[in-house]
Amino acid sequence: MNASLRLFGGLSASQRLFLRRYGPIFAVYGFIVVLFIIGATQSERFLTVRNLTNVARQSAFLGIIALGQMLVILTAGIDLSVGSLVKLSILVSAIVMDGQTENQGAAIVATLGLGLLVGLIHAFLVNEVKIAPFIVTLASLGILRGISLSISTSPVGSASKPFIMFYVQKIGPIPVIAVMFFALLALTALLLRYTAFGKYLYAIGGNIEVAHLSGVPVKLTRYGVYVICSVSAAITGLLWLSRMGVGDPAIGDGLELQAITAVIIGGTSLFGGRGTVIGTLGGVLLLGVTANLLVMLGVNQFVQGLIQGIIIVAAVALYKQEGD
Amino acid sequence: MSEFILEMRNISKSFAGVQALKDVTFRCRPGRVYGLVGENGAGKSTLMKILAGAYRADAGEIIYKGEKRDQASAGEVIDSGISIIYQELALVRQMSVAENIFLGREPRYALGLLNLSELHRRAAALLKRLGIRLDTSLPVSELTVAQRQLVEIAKALSQNADLIVMDEPSAILAGSELEQLFGIIESLVDEGVTIIYISHRLEEVFRIASEVTVLKDGELVDTRPIDQLDRPTLVEMMVGRPLNEIFPQTEHEQGELVLVAEKISTDTILEEASLELYAGEILGVAGMVGSGRTELARALFGADPLTSGKIALVGGKSARWGNPAQAIDSGLVLVPEDRKTHGLFTSLPVRINVTLPILSRISRFGVLKFQAEDEIVEGARARLSIVMASPDQEAQYLSGGNQQKVVLAKWLETNPAVVILDEPTRGVDVGAKFEIYRLMRQLNDRGIAIVMISSELPEIIGMSDRILVMNHGRIVGEVAQEDATEAGIIELATMAAAGANRA
Repeated sequence: MNASLRLFGGLSASQRLFLRRYGPIFAVYGFIVVLFIIGATQSERFLTVRNLTNVARQSAFLGIIALGQMLVILTAGIDLSVGSLVKLSILVSAIVMDGQTENQGAAIVATLGLGLLVGLIHAFLVNEVKIAPFIVTLASLGILRGISLSISTSPVGSASKPFIMFYVQKIGPIPVIAVMFFALLALTALLLRYTAFGKYLYAIGGNIEVAHLSGVPVKLTRYGVYVICSVSAAITGLLWLSRMGVGDPAIGDGLELQAITAVIIGGTSLFGGRGTVIGTLGGVLLLGVTANLLVMLGVNQFVQGLIQGIIIVAAVALYKQEGD
Repeated sequence: MSEFILEMRNISKSFAGVQALKDVTFRCRPGRVYGLVGENGAGKSTLMKILAGAYRADAGEIIYKGEKRDQASAGEVIDSGISIIYQELALVRQMSVAENIFLGREPRYALGLLNLSELHRRAAALLKRLGIRLDTSLPVSELTVAQRQLVEIAKALSQNADLIVMDEPSAILAGSELEQLFGIIESLVDEGVTIIYISHRLEEVFRIASEVTVLKDGELVDTRPIDQLDRPTLVEMMVGRPLNEIFPQTEHEQGELVLVAEKISTDTILEEASLELYAGEILGVAGMVGSGRTELARALFGADPLTSGKIALVGGKSARWGNPAQAIDSGLVLVPEDRKTHGLFTSLPVRINVTLPILSRISRFGVLKFQAEDEIVEGARARLSIVMASPDQEAQYLSGGNQQKVVLAKWLETNPAVVILDEPTRGVDVGAKFEIYRLMRQLNDRGIAIVMISSELPEIIGMSDRILVMNHGRIVGEVAQEDATEAGIIELATMAAAGANRA
């Protein structure tokens, strides 16, 4: 910490603080820019509208789930079940919709209801039975996955035609799904900055004992945050149905780790109390652009995992500079 | 309404069969400062936790502002006008000053959205009322400990508290900061606020309290106006026996030179500190919080690398160490200030806490010899009179004084030549303090040199053979015990501070 203090010697205390806090996030965005430059110079297809649209859409899929995950992690919790919940959500929505436009509403309500229920159960176990979030959601990862695969191991149900069209719809040049993600992103940022609920997430993650003694409704806040996280997974399940057209049980594996990775790269502390929406967006984009670029450059997909691992370590090392 | 703002009548409370409070009655008149004193385990914290709504009393009643109060939640207690400033500061480090002050009671617009400008405006107004200037958007992690304490008080004020409980508020303050706190308390009292002031430092109780309540072993000893008490009487009430010798002295000649530090600086506030340390002496280090005392200790111990200067251990096995492990091997030991985070594994048994640094010595082929371990732990228990249920008891369940003894025991097993003690009696009750002082003298008798850092001037003056005064990272003076006075040390420190500011 002292080395960085000297480095920023000419700045005021608040400027130094700003740099220490947001410097690493700038670095993440800087790295994204570098990836764009590499992509533009190394691949003809990278900087095309078609490809960038793809990147935006794929980032939105990960991003929505990462936002929910980030809120849980801010409270020093974690939700390992979101991948399995996405899987169950795509199956439930596909089966209920069954290709019929008139079933769309029922499918959406059923899927979001599923998210609500799972979130409530998580929060109940964390709040009332006092089981650690890691364990609760680890169990739930297995249970939801088990339920999904006992429903079907091959694609079932199907989406209605308008619902499939939703995936390709655009507002101007931008896919609707990306717009939706940005709307949720803005909403989350406002939630964190301008609502007591948002402040309570930081307070609980920062010091739960203090939060309790200050009269913060700790349990209620946790009910809220686990529900938000599970509902974000249910929404992602619906989006996957729109994309796949059928209830594909192969969807969702490993998504929880992707989401957690994006959140960590975005500078959110796994110990809670610290994290920003802008950082999480950076994490999501960095993962999205990296994955896309590696495909463009024809890199073996197994190497992608390796590169992702290196990115995590590099990012976390950067945030360590923030000191404590 | 009665003349009392608060009456806790005939309160009893037991935990798992252990009686923590027995029929305690405690009353407060509005606009006064009540000192609440007693050894650790006397029941002060339990009594205050019952007041806070964190515990439910087994028997007795609480009458607050003339009304009998039922069991209340933490939030309800705050709303009723009672604020409690806990010993472990209750702030969320990652959140800003203003957010912390209004945590749980944020000003909102009609739609439920936060009114951030109002939040900061009101926080700034509160801080101004306390006479402090602070950027309300700064995260608490950026504040000094003293500033955090003031934020806590601002938080209490923001709750429109009529009754503020301060649990050991001064444990982390020194000198001018303490005077600032007392000034604030006095102005609060003028406004009609009642203060319950819990402290181990009796000087402060005499300085600020109008009445003193003494608890011992869960029972009320007495409540008396301060002007009917003197220090020996109060100590006797707390400990239950007269203590003639507060600071045990030993007659000894100055021993051999054991350690020399020459103009050492580190990457902290510490600058060009030089000192000599002799066998069998206690070298006191005085100064304000943040004056570089702890940094000096860390530098001597090799915990912070030196940027210039050198440290030499005379006649030791090795005269060079770049990290704590080498320092320990060379016969140096540091007992840190914050034993919960740096000195003690609270969730591990006493046994492991005592033998951790010497595990290799009591192992054969990497396998621990339990019998040897038992002997060492039993020896430590007997020598230091550590009160514990068994060596397998987790350290967190020991009282503060006994925890400190466990930390000491751990390092004494390494047979050190030099022991550095950073605030050895902080948060330790009077009885255990004297045992720690006696233990320090026993170490001296064995020829061990002690560096003692302390914020308590009576302790510094009473125990040290020589006293170094630090300010702004520099050693600004040395005083012999026979010449030392509290005023003299404070003056030296503050004058040095003024000089440093000019420079």
